[in-house]
Amino acid sequence: MTTPVPTGAGRIGAPFHVSGPDAPWHRVRAAMDRHGTAVVHTTWGEWLAAVVAEPALRPLLGRDWQRYRRTADPTVRYRFVASRLVTKYTAAAALHTEPVELDLAYRTGGRPYLRGLDQIDVSLTHTDDLIAVGISRVGRIGVDAEPAGRRMSYELLGRTVLTPAERAALEPLADAERAAAMLRLWTLKEAYTKALGQGLRLGFDEFGFDADGSGLAAPDGRPVRRDAWTFATYRVLGRYVLSVARHDAGLDSSPDTAAHTMLDEGFMDAVGELLP
Amino acid sequence: MRTRRPVDATRELTNAAMTTTAETIHPPGTPSGRTAADAFARAARLEALLGDPYDPANPHGLRALFAADARRVPPAETESLLAGTGLGAEFVPAVHGGRLTRADLLVRALRPVFRRDVALGFGYGITSLFAAGAVWAAGDARQRQDVADLLLRGGRATILHHELAHANAILRHEFSARATARGYRLDGRKDVIINAARADLQVVYARTGTARGPRSHSVFLLDPRCAPPGSVRHLPRVELPGMRGALFSGLEFTGAPVPAGALVGGTGDGVGLALRVFQVNRSVICGLVTAAAGTVLDAAVRSAAGGRGATVTGRRRAPLAGVFADLLAADAMSMVVLRALSLLPDRAHLFAAAVKYVVPDLLREGLQELATVLGARGFDHAGPEHGALDKLVRDLPVAGLGHAGSASCQAVLVPQLRGLAERSWFAEDEPPSGLFRADGELPDLDYRLLGIAGGGDFMAASLVGSAARLAGARGAPGARGALAGLAEAFVTELRALREQCRRLPASGTALAGPAALVLADRYTGVVAAAAVLGVWESQDGTDPFLAGPAWAVLALSRLAGRIGVPVPTLPAGVQEEVLGELLRRQRAGLGYDLDAVAHTP
Repeated sequence: MTTPVPTGAGRIGAPFHVSGPDAPWHRVRAAMDRHGTAVVHTTWGEWLAAVVAEPALRPLLGRDWQRYRRTADPTVRYRFVASRLVTKYTAAAALHTEPVELDLAYRTGGRPYLRGLDQIDVSLTHTDDLIAVGISRVGRIGVDAEPAGRRMSYELLGRTVLTPAERAALEPLADAERAAAMLRLWTLKEAYTKALGQGLRLGFDEFGFDADGSGLAAPDGRPVRRDAWTFATYRVLGRYVLSVARHDAGLDSSPDTAAHTMLDEGFMDAVGELLP
Repeated sequence: MRTRRPVDATRELTNAAMTTTAETIHPPGTPSGRTAADAFARAARLEALLGDPYDPANPHGLRALFAADARRVPPAETESLLAGTGLGAEFVPAVHGGRLTRADLLVRALRPVFRRDVALGFGYGITSLFAAGAVWAAGDARQRQDVADLLLRGGRATILHHELAHANAILRHEFSARATARGYRLDGRKDVIINAARADLQVVYARTGTARGPRSHSVFLLDPRCAPPGSVRHLPRVELPGMRGALFSGLEFTGAPVPAGALVGGTGDGVGLALRVFQVNRSVICGLVTAAAGTVLDAAVRSAAGGRGATVTGRRRAPLAGVFADLLAADAMSMVVLRALSLLPDRAHLFAAAVKYVVPDLLREGLQELATVLGARGFDHAGPEHGALDKLVRDLPVAGLGHAGSASCQAVLVPQLRGLAERSWFAEDEPPSGLFRADGELPDLDYRLLGIAGGGDFMAASLVGSAARLAGARGAPGARGALAGLAEAFVTELRALREQCRRLPASGTALAGPAALVLADRYTGVVAAAAVLGVWESQDGTDPFLAGPAWAVLALSRLAGRIGVPVPTLPAGVQEEVLGELLRRQRAGLGYDLDAVAHTP
């Protein structure tokens, strides 16, 4: 069901499917142990029963409850709530806690994060009925998905989405090949800028990728040495292209990402001892 | 009252220093002035010695510093220049012949180094202070004098941390010290210690008790030259992705004998000493890395406005103005906590943890916004202007210690929240106004007076006071009305926190769940806002921009957004005014912090 396309895949770990709130969430912990990263995907329909039946939806959504209530279109509304639930369930698995305990907040650029818990970074994407969530303990992560069949017009978008070097590489390709290459570059650029936290505010013609999509390149095609970044693109559910960008801040962060172990006992006790 | 602007004083001194050589500036042991003007003067001399950061021919310029970083070596020429200025004296209290009087002045004096290169600042110098802190806090007379003499001679100290929860490479592993007939026996291994191979002094936080809890560790002061052969092994250099030029390597002790006299303070004092010393280190780091972020902002403005250009257009306006407001907020937080260490030493620990929790994150987010301004130019490693972004993105997580660093701050905040909600918030008196006035006199920093818990929350009290004084402007049009509304919104948030924190468990493992961590996060945003308001209120009008409400409105709007407090639309003109000041400072070569000192001569 999941086909890795090129490089980087080994370091990030293949995305896997989660089928709803009762999914085997231990797989998230296993992926985190192995790669420091976990990427899951699902379809919002698989969460519909949980959304409709969940008695604790309001506390579960937290600050997103108002947005959920305001959204009139039922499809948009259910997809929205499902995507938040997937994010919280995935994060909760890595944090060894309950989804309802988490406060999913948003940065200025719209990037989600878990308030008070900076041991993992999260990224969320949805397109059609697909929802994908990436979490990482080694640094920033960004995920982006598009339907594999989406045809981006090279003529219309090439100049705004691609660097001169990328255009030169895509120019000689046949139509179908070029569309696929362009879609992959688009999702990679989205994933990278989402990892940076800025969404589309970074001009897509201002940075590029090398030929196999595994490394960053300057607009003129010169490779940019960014050893700390890993990129990978996958085909999931047979019909979506999913790209992942992951930064390694290089601090060799603790493999323990549990929320309840992060406060240093010695410090807590020393402080607590002196309090009335 | 400030009689002259630091900017003017600095310019004069910068010019004066141009004709001076490094050797004649700070003969070790020279008594130093205690005023802000004196610290500005020292900074100006350093600025002049380090020269124009953008001059490609300057051996201490950004191009040379970034080249050393790329080669993963410390910038030797610049290190020897700093050695010539007797920089080590900055880390030695004045009573022991050094120049350290107050933490806020220390930061001002060192900013010229950090705005060029954070790794140089850590690697050359500030690590010595972080290590020596335990000795200033609890060392006996002989230990204090020994460390002072060493640092004044240009020697270097390093710190061997104990392992903290969720430790990363720098905090992982620790040493143990077992009592013997003549002292202690030290064992253990740690792989990532800055300057491990070249430090003349090691301050070790070693485990001395088998039981967990607050008395588990003790601090020892070691002279590496005294270690018998075979008892210490130097491990290979470790290359981190950030601070690439800094020298990290490991040490392994095997039955190393440690004399009884090496113990700093009492047996079991280690964790308490760490808490006492860390609050200084945390506050100093925040003040210094804010200066480094200023360099990236400068690069972004130069890029967007085209050198000494007059204007910025389009999508670059909001991030530039926003990040400038963030830097002013970060500086407000840093300066207030650095001053609190002198003025309210028994109570500064809480705010120090909050500031260290907020500032690195605020700067990290700001760097990402600046990346959108710099765009493709951010990849231009060869150019010194644009390499600054890349370098600080790499260096900042090492300086701030990432998740383990923020978790260690939360460990200070979380146990105190319930007590603060029950007894302090909306009940305490405001702090003395001298806390916020940059030019106000303060007592010297005395590490021995620093508290580690309790003492209430002067920043929450200050927020409530600021909001009350602004209440008359609430609902008024324009920036002042917006500021009053934002102040009230933060007070409302504090009220909500009071209700929620009262329901936290008193202590124990139940406290260590996500709910308390979320509350601690929101709390830090509230006291960050208090610092901005306090600094804004303390302006005497000398600087019309800082006295005006625009920067505070923008800074508070962004802080409010961080913690989920509803943010009204910015009043017309706010962004324009902040951006206008940013461009003015860029054209005039002034810094992007509260001091606005002239940078390049």
